[in-house]
Amino acid sequence: MMNDAPTLKLDRVTKRYDEFTAVNELSLSVRSGRIYGLLGPNGAGKTTTIRMMVNITVPDEGRVELFGRAMSSEMQNRIGYLPEERGLYKKMRIGEQLRFFGALKGLTGRKAEEVMDSWLERVKLSEWKNRKADELSKGMQQKIQFIVTVMHNPDLLILDEPFSGLDPKNADLLEEIVLELKAAGKTIIFSTHMMAQAERLCDDLCLINRSRKVLDGSLREIKRSFGRNAVALRVEDGDTSVLEDSRLVAKVVRRSDEMEALLAEGADAQELLRRLVGAGARVTKFELVEPSLHDIFITKVDETDEQASGNHQA
Amino acid sequence: MNKLLAIIKREYLQRVRSRMFVVWTILGPLMLVFFSVVPALVFGIKAGEPTRIAVVDETGKMYERVRASMMDESIVDKGAEESSENSPIRNLNSTPDDRVRQASRAMSGSYRVESFNLNGRSTEDAARELSGRVRSNQLDGYLIIPRDVLTTSQISYHGRNTGDVVTMDQIRSRVEKAIRDQIIAEANVPAKVFADIRRPVHMEPQRITETGSERDTGAGFVLVLVIGFLIYLMLVTYGQVILSAVVEEKETRIAELLFSSVRSFTLMMGKLIGVSLVALTQYSIWAVVFILFALYGVGMLAASGIPVELPQIPPSLVIYFIIFFLLGYFIYATIYALVGAMVTTAQEGGQVALPVIFLLMIGFYLSFAVMRSPNSSFAFWASMVPFWSPITMMVRIVTQQPPFWEIALSIAIGLVTILLLLWLAARVYRIGMLMYGKRASIPEVIRWVRQS
Repeated sequence: MMNDAPTLKLDRVTKRYDEFTAVNELSLSVRSGRIYGLLGPNGAGKTTTIRMMVNITVPDEGRVELFGRAMSSEMQNRIGYLPEERGLYKKMRIGEQLRFFGALKGLTGRKAEEVMDSWLERVKLSEWKNRKADELSKGMQQKIQFIVTVMHNPDLLILDEPFSGLDPKNADLLEEIVLELKAAGKTIIFSTHMMAQAERLCDDLCLINRSRKVLDGSLREIKRSFGRNAVALRVEDGDTSVLEDSRLVAKVVRRSDEMEALLAEGADAQELLRRLVGAGARVTKFELVEPSLHDIFITKVDETDEQASGNHQA
Repeated sequence: MNKLLAIIKREYLQRVRSRMFVVWTILGPLMLVFFSVVPALVFGIKAGEPTRIAVVDETGKMYERVRASMMDESIVDKGAEESSENSPIRNLNSTPDDRVRQASRAMSGSYRVESFNLNGRSTEDAARELSGRVRSNQLDGYLIIPRDVLTTSQISYHGRNTGDVVTMDQIRSRVEKAIRDQIIAEANVPAKVFADIRRPVHMEPQRITETGSERDTGAGFVLVLVIGFLIYLMLVTYGQVILSAVVEEKETRIAELLFSSVRSFTLMMGKLIGVSLVALTQYSIWAVVFILFALYGVGMLAASGIPVELPQIPPSLVIYFIIFFLLGYFIYATIYALVGAMVTTAQEGGQVALPVIFLLMIGFYLSFAVMRSPNSSFAFWASMVPFWSPITMMVRIVTQQPPFWEIALSIAIGLVTILLLLWLAARVYRIGMLMYGKRASIPEVIRWVRQS
């Protein structure tokens, strides 16, 4: 097996619903053994993209390739998909549900029992095996849904908002498992709105807005290309009106005890510091930092939104 | 294939194990008995008291005959001598005529008749007095039989409850009989001729078949009614179950997860087969109980010296019965699956599915027309339309068996229809799921189907 061949490749994929184009000429490739973040605002086309990745829908144009071959329903067994819209059969016992979903992926017999038990053990839900789904809390149900996604040992995992609704302890547990799976050589596609988490977990990224790809590449490259154009800043007191100067500062994000100023294009950090001090502000922290994924996300989305509305007016 | 089996297994086991299934399996036959016995009992109760009628006889010679006719219960029930053999099996063999008579016997009221002596008074005076008695509830009504009744056949009834059409008709026909008897008596007709005239005619239908001729017990037609009724019953009980089984994954939001593993056609097929097996399990249990009960009942009757004639149903007819029953059931079941694919909740589906029963009803009505001319081109086309063929083709088979190719064609059309509807349901389901939250309109569904 060629290691450099991408696990999943989308080649100029387009999907339309009536007049609406949900995904427009999207190309991306997901490298084997990495965690790939699929980001974008609500309605950007993430879910439609993911549905084509798992062969729920078929693109109108373009091509989806999995493990170097054209996508087909036989290959669905090698994918584990945790959709954002997820549920369980309410009146069915947990063990039966897992057996059923396992069978749908070709996992049956004693093997299925073993895998099921070890996963239940791993997420600390063994004693719930004979309970019905509607007796479980939402967080517990989510862990069961996660087992459904991984129990047939798929090579590619697609997780859509896997952490939403989990308490921090369970979120950590799940994150730990995801990293273990990555270490075991699985490829993981991860869609989320939680930028901090994406920043912590993802090796590669793709940002979609308005049905199109806006940005992609490895997290490191993307951050580097944005340069150190953000300043982590703490000002004890004094005049900070300089920060409102749009020639210097594009945007200010205020946190509890400090703020982050995103420099305007071509602006100099030294100039900002000089003007702050000149205005009599007591600066106790001034550090050039890489922009957070959060800032990159917002900047890029705003940028493409402006272009789009500009095009509309033209 | 394994995925299909997994879905069938889940649908089947989840439902058969449910408490509702067990309860209905036991309760079903009890309710059937309840609903078939209670109406008969209710009809039988002629709210208590006999109807009190006074007769004003202007002719002076009619009263005795009218009284005899009104009090004589055996007049309406000409088949009274058979009543002792009245078992369910016997009923199966009875002709429709018998059944009508049994029904009217159940409804026949009793009367208390008194004569009103005119004693030279005018009829108007009598009417005034009798009306008073009716008002004070000493009487339910009175009959006036005019002097010239034998030539005009005109009588009048005066009472409060003239809206009781059953009683009105009974009184009319009983007096009619009294008048007829009087006319015959006055014509000096010999007693033997008189008895001969009154004797009802019995006709025995002889059916000519390929091999010869046999006594037609009417069992064939009963079979057609049974097939229609069974399809209807199964749809009423299981149509909604199929519908909600199809909607289930939408409501629980499992659909997307499932579609990352199976194709929607496989899912639809699995659900349809799974639920249908549940229905067939239940009906088989009922059938076995019924057959055991019937055999036991027949044995009991035979032992007590009452001969019971079991309906003679040729094996080929039984096979056709099973084929057309399953065909009919699955055609309608897939319609329910299609409705389930279109809607987002089971309640919504219930409303949309309402007209489906009407479609089946049309088949019932057509069957009567087909019965009267089973070889007409109308009958041919009616038995080729898949929604009606399970009933109409069965009618043709029991009345005047059509050539085999016609039966085969009708079965083939039915099978193709089932697959087509299932394919359509799968398609609508898959596309509908991607935009759930609203019900699909018919034009939308058509557009979805066209979409690749």
